[in-house]
Amino acid sequence: MTVVVAPVGGAVVGLANVPDPVFAQAMVGPGTAIEPDREPGEAVSPIDGKIIKLHPHAYVVVGDDGRGVLVHLGIDTVQLKGEGFRLLAAEGDRVSAGQPVVAWDPAAIEAAGRSPVCPVVALDAQAGALSDVQESGQVTRGAELFRWE
Amino acid sequence: MAERTVRVESEVGLHARPAATFVQTASKAPIDVTLSKAGGAPVSAKSILAVLALDVRHGEQITLRAEGEGAEELLDELSRIVSETK
Repeated sequence: MTVVVAPVGGAVVGLANVPDPVFAQAMVGPGTAIEPDREPGEAVSPIDGKIIKLHPHAYVVVGDDGRGVLVHLGIDTVQLKGEGFRLLAAEGDRVSAGQPVVAWDPAAIEAAGRSPVCPVVALDAQAGALSDVQESGQVTRGAELFRWE
Repeated sequence: MAERTVRVESEVGLHARPAATFVQTASKAPIDVTLSKAGGAPVSAKSILAVLALDVRHGEQITLRAEGEGAEELLDELSRIVSETK
């Protein structure tokens, strides 16, 4: 069982409220999403594992059991080409849940006309594999977000 | 064995929407299907984790392989997805 923690603090809104159907319809996988607090901050790893993919706007961490979790920092943020993001880790690094990976400013993303909402997705997870999925309320960075059975 | 080598036309590469659509389509097929970059090991086209980890960028070529009933049709459909510019 993997406990997935919040990569950012903010208001949990659920995947269904992400303004991108790919995430909202759980095409990428099941999970949830967080409207981050509008202040400069550091997005952290959602699980213990290895960073197998690190983009400024998104990263994937894979645990020792092979389970991968995607964190996407904002919607359509790939178009920002890294502007406003600063990498605090490198691809291939081993990280602990809660360890900083990318520094960014959600307010700046919003000012640039994009949603800074952060989908947190269990990759290749079967429907029903997640439990205790938070869909609402406030969450602090590093607090439990859902469980992957 | 059916095989196609196609260029990824999506501006974001095989990420986000194209990756999700690609994997969803592959996953519906009852046969095994893989993709690989030139000189790289093939990975399952049914795994979003594998596809995202492969990190295929705009303009890169990938080779799709499948074997079994419907392999040609499946590769046609997957080729169409990676050839879309959006």
